[in-house]
Amino acid sequence: MIDLSSKLEKLSLELVEKNAHLYKVTVKLENLESILLSFLNEFGYITLDSINCRDDLEEGLFTITYCLQTEKRDHVVMVQTSIDRENATLPSMHTLWPQAEIMEREMHEMFGVDFPTHPSLIDFALEYWEHMPPMRRDFDTLEFVNSMNPFRDQRGDNLDVKVEMKKRREEKKAAKLKAEQEAAAKLAAQEQQNPDSEAQNNE
Amino acid sequence: MESGFHGSDLDSSLKCKLEESGMANTHAIMEKAVNWFRSRSIFVVAYGTGCGAIEMPPTFTSRYDAERMGVVGVATPRQADLIILSGYLAYKTLRRVIRTYEQMQRPKYVITLGSCPINGGMYWDSYNTIKKLDDYIPVDVYVTGCMPRPESVIEGFVLLQERIKNGEKAGWQKYDENLKFYKDNQKRVLGGHIDPSYETDWYNLENGGVA
Ligand code: SF4
Repeated sequence: MIDLSSKLEKLSLELVEKNAHLYKVTVKLENLESILLSFLNEFGYITLDSINCRDDLEEGLFTITYCLQTEKRDHVVMVQTSIDRENATLPSMHTLWPQAEIMEREMHEMFGVDFPTHPSLIDFALEYWEHMPPMRRDFDTLEFVNSMNPFRDQRGDNLDVKVEMKKRREEKKAAKLKAEQEAAAKLAAQEQQNPDSEAQNNE
Repeated sequence: MESGFHGSDLDSSLKCKLEESGMANTHAIMEKAVNWFRSRSIFVVAYGTGCGAIEMPPTFTSRYDAERMGVVGVATPRQADLIILSGYLAYKTLRRVIRTYEQMQRPKYVITLGSCPINGGMYWDSYNTIKKLDDYIPVDVYVTGCMPRPESVIEGFVLLQERIKNGEKAGWQKYDENLKFYKDNQKRVLGGHIDPSYETDWYNLENGGVA
């Protein structure tokens, strides 16, 4: 395991190995800011890859994960914390990693997490969104979609594909059979005619 | 298909049309001539709203060469006759599309590509896309397919040209006539956050709404 674990032991934190390139630390919300600061300044994790949010609806929690990388880019450390789902509030990390600003804006929009110290908590991808944040699990997407955008009235020819294909195949078969029969009948008729014409020519 | 821009072509077609209908009305003749010219010089602003945007470059460049039919791309909506909306529309995009459409000078036409503007396509259950585009702005030609090939796009142009040539009623006339219907629908999904319109007195809709 990377030499980080001994450093973390001093902070009485446990480093869990997920695989050779992925490690996880779980921290309490009170310590989050100071621990992320020491990750940046003392342990050299200069890059914040992403901030992820997971909606644990059953436990009433949001699980927030900060993915960090060193300059060498050889492994990722996930710093994980949980916050209350109902009044979800987090400190903004834009002072440590500037890219956090836009990640937090997205999280605010999609999950409704509040960042009191954030400098620009404005619309990100959605505009003037007035409903529940759409990535929350209790947001009923289907109901919302049906109420906002009903389907076009169905056309009269909206048919079951399997049944129709079977019907069409049978029709095709019947048409082919009919064509064959007609061709045979035509041939027979021609053969009947031909002897007459030959006879006429001979005359 | 009829060939390009030859003067004799126009003469003969006009003459035969004159003989056919026995028209003495110059205005009607002029109208027919103007419609013919109009159908052969469609200026397009291509608004790449969705995946179908990727079919625009081959349609307009040498491989399929829409320019041979007088369909040319322009820089701004104010110069355009036709707007191509290529794919699904998010609410955010719809807002811009409405503004763009209202900036265009009449006569103006709309072609959409793909199944998404017709009935949602594969984004039918997204919280952020609309389904029926013709609730919000009038659509002249739907080119179907997910996504349509440039051949189909060109077929859409041909169909539109045919309609313009015949002087059929186009979408922009419907928009003017049913302004309230369109504006109500726009307001329903966009929540009233619509930019001040070029054609509509949005704040006085009750009194007809035309600025
Ligand atoms: S119809 Fe298909 S290609 Fe076109 S925008 Fe929709 S999903 Fe994309």
